[in-house]
Amino acid sequence: MAVDELIPTLAAVAADGAVRAGRGLSGLMGQEISIHVPNIRTGTKNDACDAVGGEETVVIGSYLSISGDITGHVMLLFPEPRALECVDLMMGQEPGTTTGPDEMACSAISELGNIVGSAFVNALADHLNLVLHPSPPQVLHDMAIALVESVYAEVLSQGSDVVMMDAVFEDQKGRTAGLLIVAPDPASLGALQRVAA
Amino acid sequence: MTTTTAEARRISVGIGQLALSRDPHDILVAYGLGSCVGIACYDPEAKVAALAHILLPSSEGKRVDDREPARFADTGIDLLLQRLAEAGAVKRRLIVKVAGGAAVLGAANAEKFKIGVRNAEAITERLKHHGIRVTAADLGGTKGRTMELHVATGKTFVRTAASPASEL
Repeated sequence: MAVDELIPTLAAVAADGAVRAGRGLSGLMGQEISIHVPNIRTGTKNDACDAVGGEETVVIGSYLSISGDITGHVMLLFPEPRALECVDLMMGQEPGTTTGPDEMACSAISELGNIVGSAFVNALADHLNLVLHPSPPQVLHDMAIALVESVYAEVLSQGSDVVMMDAVFEDQKGRTAGLLIVAPDPASLGALQRVAA
Repeated sequence: MTTTTAEARRISVGIGQLALSRDPHDILVAYGLGSCVGIACYDPEAKVAALAHILLPSSEGKRVDDREPARFADTGIDLLLQRLAEAGAVKRRLIVKVAGGAAVLGAANAEKFKIGVRNAEAITERLKHHGIRVTAADLGGTKGRTMELHVATGKTFVRTAASPASEL
């Protein structure tokens, strides 16, 4: 089956996950941060790279794997400038305060990936009545294609698509956006389709 | 003949692809090798260069799709050497350099899948099977690499997100 048949289900999951993640992030930061997912689509590995600025674009992000009733991969990627905006937003700083991808920035993005990725996985589990466990987050800071390619090598069969969602983060001072990539393992697609039907 | 940067033509060699050229204006590039491995071959006498972008270690039990002829180390290397021979390259003259095989998704994940390490091993093994010794290698680690092969000179360069290009 094709991944795009899952889009209606995943759109509902993403909307719920975004609300949960926004609540978690706001609680952690002590200020109102909203998250929404205005767009959800399927695409190839090249589409995923293009969505963050092209193959060699340096991105900062977070990766976690899903285990349990189904298995798969979740990545939240930001082109470097967007990641720095996001750190300012999370820290309640004026936009432009964070100027480089230091340890603090990577740590903040990792935490963000943990909150957003886990919220999505938990929403997926609740919607489809599945037992799912997100792994601890892994900070990513590399060329977009190297990251996407490695997930592709490990799980995806030839021509497989991934699900891409624009994740928009907003507070009173500004907004920024990242790309949430969800790639169910091929063996889990059938199970996902059955429970989503 | 002089080749300036302005005249250079970069040819992107995507995942599972291979490219061969004898045009001195060409630069063959494999962008962002993560767990993938790039194999750069050059015959200095025939002045033929080829670059393959290998995704997985073995084709065993799998179907080789024409759209990604260099997807697997075993069948990909066989095809790479065949194409080089057809273009006039001689195996014993080949300068072969390899880069990639990293664990960009982190140590825990690398332990689970080991794709990068397995790719590196499979490539070394297959080249050895063909009687080819690797001249230079930049394998492993945790960072993605971009590999370039300049057809005019046969020189190979590797860069990462954090470090500028250096000759391999």
